[in-house]
Amino acid sequence: MRFRRRILNPLTELTIAGLLVVLVLVIDDWRFSLGVLLLLVLPAAATSGRAGRIAVAFGVLAGPMLLFLLLLHGLFYPEGERVLFDLGPAAVTAEGLLFALEMGSRVAAFTGLLLTAALSLEVSELLDTLTHRGWNRKLVYVLGSALGLAPLVADRASQITRAQQARGLVVTRSPLSKLRALVVVGRPLIAGLLTDAADRSRTLDARGFAGTGPRTSYRADTDTAAQRMLRWGMLAAVVVFTSWWYFGRHT
Amino acid sequence: MNSSLTLPSETAAPTTRRILLIAGAAVIAATYLYLVLVQPAEIAGGAGTPAGLITLLGFLGGGALLVAGILPGLNTQAVVLMPVGIALNISFGQLAGTLGLPIYLDALGTVLIGVLAGPAAGAATGVLSNAIWGLFNPFALPFAAGSAAIGLLAGLAARWGMFRRLYLVPVAGLLTGVVGGLLAAPVAAFMFGAAGTMGTNAIVAAFRAMGDTLLVAATKQGLTSDTIDKLIIFTVVALIVYALPRRTWNAFTFVRRHRVLLGASSGDAGSRDESAAERK
Repeated sequence: MRFRRRILNPLTELTIAGLLVVLVLVIDDWRFSLGVLLLLVLPAAATSGRAGRIAVAFGVLAGPMLLFLLLLHGLFYPEGERVLFDLGPAAVTAEGLLFALEMGSRVAAFTGLLLTAALSLEVSELLDTLTHRGWNRKLVYVLGSALGLAPLVADRASQITRAQQARGLVVTRSPLSKLRALVVVGRPLIAGLLTDAADRSRTLDARGFAGTGPRTSYRADTDTAAQRMLRWGMLAAVVVFTSWWYFGRHT
Repeated sequence: MNSSLTLPSETAAPTTRRILLIAGAAVIAATYLYLVLVQPAEIAGGAGTPAGLITLLGFLGGGALLVAGILPGLNTQAVVLMPVGIALNISFGQLAGTLGLPIYLDALGTVLIGVLAGPAAGAATGVLSNAIWGLFNPFALPFAAGSAAIGLLAGLAARWGMFRRLYLVPVAGLLTGVVGGLLAAPVAAFMFGAAGTMGTNAIVAAFRAMGDTLLVAATKQGLTSDTIDKLIIFTVVALIVYALPRRTWNAFTFVRRHRVLLGASSGDAGSRDESAAERK
């Protein structure tokens, strides 16, 4: 087991990431976005114990976006006036490149912040915290169940695909054949999932899921009063800063 | 169908829920109108305007209000279906990639839940799906409002009997795609500079080369891609649902009450399937 930083509750880490996203959008300056990325996200990801996963996810998600932003706005920016290279219908403009830099640093900071927070947290700990903080029970159920189901469904889909291929399903290049494959794989997958869901619904009802009484969680609350105060304090600070930034700064 | 025999059913005040629903819809509509009407020149003006912030907070916050208003009113059956829809969105989104399909397919679960459990469950599935997917793919996060609209419209189309006449299904998909594309365009333009996949970028670049503003180019791209995507999703969902055993979909209260599908037993027909479902 590699080193893993465990200082804050998952809810606190998510709150910090979310509020930093808000700040990046409010300040909307590529220098601030890059600063957040290099000075906060990078150290946090490096000490999370899941640096590899975070780096791969960031590369897969943000990499193409950054490239497309550069190509799209570097070449096609009709509002640009300072033309650096004229390429017929396309033109490299200084304004377009600056816009690509601003959007790109913002997109990178946004992705980095949320991915680092999400991939380094323990889902079960987050669900416990939400239960202890009295969040809607149905919401906590949907959250936990969906996160648990997603890999299972993907797994079952690939099993069904292999089974159908063994029965003679051949996917050719034509879109109609692909669409047929989708229905052939989707039908047994969805039929199975709906039957499972009906079973779960009965089980949950029999155990009083729909009832309104108070609930006991068997797991200890890892959240602390200090962190709760910290979350509300940070939220208030960001709200005050944002209103000052838009309304008070110029007066 | 809150049918626990031993516990009182949940009674969240309906007025509070209605206020939350209206507030959520109003926030989303106001965000869209603000972005489209007040800020058309913003993107060329560069940084320093709150369009990105308003996009994220308005669409995500409006979605959160909708969920807060919808969830307390849903029965266990619908709540249990929602994670299934969310997981289907994620895995079909990936499947579309592996099959090399030029469409997203990542709203298939939302549409399915809308058809089987109704517009409210569909809308909540849409929002939560994007919120949960946002944990692994942050780009999905601000599109939550568009997903809510897709789930809502799929549910309404089912309720109005459009899934009983198969030729109306693609029409419903097309109309849903128009709304989805309109709601997604400002997110793409103001949050991410309209960067998306290879295909969508080519379309945006073409419109930009013709001199359109970024929002207009993104809207035209959204209308092109989303209508085709939703048309196919609605058709695939209809094909899959009709291929399921009748017993499976007849177990859903919404399907029976509004006779969503051809051959669905209406509310008071005492078929064996129904009494079995009612006993749950």
